[in-house]
Amino acid sequence: MSGLAETPISAKEGGNLYKKRSLPVSESCSKRVKINEMSAEEKISNFSLVNPNSNGIKMSSTSMNKPGVTAKKLIIKNFKSKPNLPDNYQETTWSKLREAVVAIQTSKSIAYSLEELYQAVENMCSHKMASQLYVNLTNLVEAHVKANIEQFLSESMDRQVFLKRMDDCWRAHCRQMIMIRSIFLYLDRTYVLQNPSIHSIWDMGLDLFRHHIAMNTLVQTRTVDGLLLLIERERGGDSVDISLLKSLLRMLSDLQIYQEAFEHKFLQATERLYAAEGQRLMRELAVPEYLAHVEKRLKEENDRLLHYLDPSTKWQLVVVVERQLLGEHVAGILGKGLAALLDAPRLHDLATLYTLFSRVKDGLAELCHHFNGYIKKKGRTIVIEPERDKTMVTELLDFKEQLDHVVNTCFQRNDKFIYSMREAFEFFINQRQNKPAELIAKFVDLKLRAGNKEATEEELERLLDKIMVLFRFIHGKDVFEAFYKKDLAKRLLVGKSASVDAEKSMLSKLKQECGGGFTCKLEGMFKDMELSKDINITYKQHLSASTETSGPGGVELSVHILTMGFWPTYRACEVRLPTELTRQQEHFTKFYLAKHSGRKLHWQPTLGHCVLRANFAQGNKELQVSLFQALVLLLFNDGDNLSFEDIKVSTNIEEGELRRTLQSLACGKARVLSKAPRGRDVQDLDHFSFNADFTNKLFRIKINQIQMKETSEEQKATEERVFQDRQYQIDAAIVRVMKMRKALSHNLLISELYNQLKFPVKPSDLKKRIESLIDRDYMERDKDNPNQYNYVA
Amino acid sequence: MPRSSKRTRSGAPTSGNDVLPGATSIDEHHHHKRSRNSSLRRHLKAEDTSFSVKKCLSWFKEYTSVSEPDVLGPEGMEKFCADLGVDPENVVMLVIAYKMGAKQMGFFTQEEWLKGLTELQCDNVHKLQNKLDYLRNLLNDPHIFKAIYRYSYDFARDKEQRSLDTEVAGALLGVLLPRWALRAALCEFIARERRYRVVNRDQWCNILEFSRTVDAHLASYDADGAWPVMLDEFVEWLRANDSSMPPAS
Repeated sequence: MSGLAETPISAKEGGNLYKKRSLPVSESCSKRVKINEMSAEEKISNFSLVNPNSNGIKMSSTSMNKPGVTAKKLIIKNFKSKPNLPDNYQETTWSKLREAVVAIQTSKSIAYSLEELYQAVENMCSHKMASQLYVNLTNLVEAHVKANIEQFLSESMDRQVFLKRMDDCWRAHCRQMIMIRSIFLYLDRTYVLQNPSIHSIWDMGLDLFRHHIAMNTLVQTRTVDGLLLLIERERGGDSVDISLLKSLLRMLSDLQIYQEAFEHKFLQATERLYAAEGQRLMRELAVPEYLAHVEKRLKEENDRLLHYLDPSTKWQLVVVVERQLLGEHVAGILGKGLAALLDAPRLHDLATLYTLFSRVKDGLAELCHHFNGYIKKKGRTIVIEPERDKTMVTELLDFKEQLDHVVNTCFQRNDKFIYSMREAFEFFINQRQNKPAELIAKFVDLKLRAGNKEATEEELERLLDKIMVLFRFIHGKDVFEAFYKKDLAKRLLVGKSASVDAEKSMLSKLKQECGGGFTCKLEGMFKDMELSKDINITYKQHLSASTETSGPGGVELSVHILTMGFWPTYRACEVRLPTELTRQQEHFTKFYLAKHSGRKLHWQPTLGHCVLRANFAQGNKELQVSLFQALVLLLFNDGDNLSFEDIKVSTNIEEGELRRTLQSLACGKARVLSKAPRGRDVQDLDHFSFNADFTNKLFRIKINQIQMKETSEEQKATEERVFQDRQYQIDAAIVRVMKMRKALSHNLLISELYNQLKFPVKPSDLKKRIESLIDRDYMERDKDNPNQYNYVA
Repeated sequence: MPRSSKRTRSGAPTSGNDVLPGATSIDEHHHHKRSRNSSLRRHLKAEDTSFSVKKCLSWFKEYTSVSEPDVLGPEGMEKFCADLGVDPENVVMLVIAYKMGAKQMGFFTQEEWLKGLTELQCDNVHKLQNKLDYLRNLLNDPHIFKAIYRYSYDFARDKEQRSLDTEVAGALLGVLLPRWALRAALCEFIARERRYRVVNRDQWCNILEFSRTVDAHLASYDADGAWPVMLDEFVEWLRANDSSMPPAS
């Protein structure tokens, strides 16, 4: 690394290119370069003339020949003698610099120009005094920093004042160090850069500050405690000097003690604070307010992160807050408030709840669990009470709709919640056996009946869809089928069905849901209705063709031919018909059997209905009545004032049925008969007479609603039929399984049966059937192993 | 008695009504007894070792009436028991009936009498008396006991019905399972529950299994087992009514 070098430069002739000695190279190599111009005539221009200083360093650069001038030789020669520094150069220069630094540290004006100081540093560095310079500077700064600590050690000092002073001290330190670094820039860029082991001037300043002030236990504790106090006050709602907080926290980060000195304590304090707050507020506040508060807190903490905390704390801070305010109280919040929130339902609060809980571990799982429990509990109350049967289906529909809404709007249609809701519905709706299925069937009947004007077709369609959702949850679908079939039969036979389209639509829904096996009988009923229509037309044609000969004129007859097995079974009952009707029946039977030989017709009077013409004092009326009502009324053509007994004998109607019939004629809305004595119920000794004074606005009066009504016997009979059917199905399943397996252990048989049977059944019911089959010798218990059954062929 | 049970095991290895101890083994048994028994036995034996069908039949006639010479009726049965010195309700009578293959309680036909007593090689009351201990010991063999238990169902059943009346069943259990801890409770349960007017064959057979496998505290009872519903309900009733019973787990 010799200090001298000779650099000959030649300029090519005609080249408008000139070479400039690259300054950085000469600088970094600390070379002195002298450039001589060979020809004096040539114009010389001086470039980059740095201070013509007394130290004799001179840098010059020349631009060369103009184009067209002939080439000249350029020779650079060394100094004749090596320039020397004055002996005391180092001492004098350093004292100058020291003076300046001290001036900066004491905020006084600097006696020398900054340029001069910079040059001094540069020269010292150039003369290999950099390391000494660095050491000197370090000592100087260290002394100053050490001196500063005194002010922070005094015993009693207001925290606010302390922090303020600390902040001031820090800011001053930074300012000073920037200034010092500017002056010693040359040192920073050369010596420091070349020695990786030493700190840059700025870092040196930080290091000293950290070492002497920030790492002082007392000072650090005071600072951190002061900061925590400020933050706590801010959390408590006081306004504090945020810029002070921010500046000091930046200081900690810059000194790289943020994490160890502050963050840990800060998180602890946060945890303590929110743990206490969570406990207290859970006691004091209602759940919605609590949730709002948590939301507010989380937002505040986020702001805090934006405003003064170091971003690296974010994750931990948020976790701490969520854990203390939410995680610890998941069960408490859900237990205390979920039911109320869902009951209302408070959609906004529920949405808050969902978003908050999605942030904590297992929060949503817990929420889902409680949601499920809520549905089961509430649903059970709807289903289980017999007093609420009337409104059960509407309540269920409302409940389902409300929950759907909650899941859609508040729970982001989370699949888990949807499944959980389904599971809960299925669970509670089957808590009560059979009744829900029955009531759903009846609800549908009500909606599909004529005279239901409250809904348009689209509304009805939507309602049926919702009903199907409930229907899906029902385990014992056979109960639904039985009641639905019974009601459908009435609608079709009495002609009360509101619309064929709606009926067909419901049928296709059921088919889609349960398959063709479930609906084939129902479809058969519709088919019967259509065939009957055709038969009636041909019968009429047949009648008009044969009126002259033997046709029974007078009464118009319409017959529904019902295929046995498709329709509900009706109790056979014999009633005494007037000869007119009997003749009609016989005639039709003859006609039908002639067409379809080998069939058998049973007349079923319970669901027949007819229109009678009646002459009252006020004028003629048409009465639409059931066949039973007609039979009773026709008796009054021949006599008046008949006793209950008379009527019973003449019509041969079953007693209970007759009572109901008479009640509808004499005690209902349209009283075409009068009863003596008056009263709501029909007694054995009552007498009836034709009410000639009967008045009514309408010409045609319907009195046969009685037929649509379901009697409790009917209800019981339907239910019993379902149970009977189930027994047969169980028996059949057992025999099927045993026939295939020949010998099977009890448990395997039971599990096979559960696979096959589609309705809910208790193990003891299965056992009863098994025992019954053993008793009837379809199978036997193994003689040596009572847990095993053998099939008996 | 180890000897007797050993013998029965070799003589009647399988259960079932039709497999009965053979005559030879009975002789052998006799021999054992004889060798160590009292002088009375020795005397009796000396008096009569051979079996005579004729004697046996004349003994049968002692108990029949003139009107029905082929059937030993209830009155004859009473006398027969008195001669034998055994209470009619004694379980050993059931074993005798089982040996005879008697179809109807209270009656022995001549055929049944001859078959059973030929097998036992008895043609007078003393010989049969000497056999009583042996017959009682048959009950100690679980297989034979099971066969006798099952046989008793048909024996006691009113032939017009498929099942056993609950009262008869209760009495029969008293004879067959006198030491079973839950017997009294079961009889009370059956008598109390109006639903059960009869005990069917399956229930009857399972009562024995139940008495063998389920202990008095119901610890080994498994509600999911194949027990007839009647026994499940009995356990339920027992747990509900007897506070000393541990509740279902």
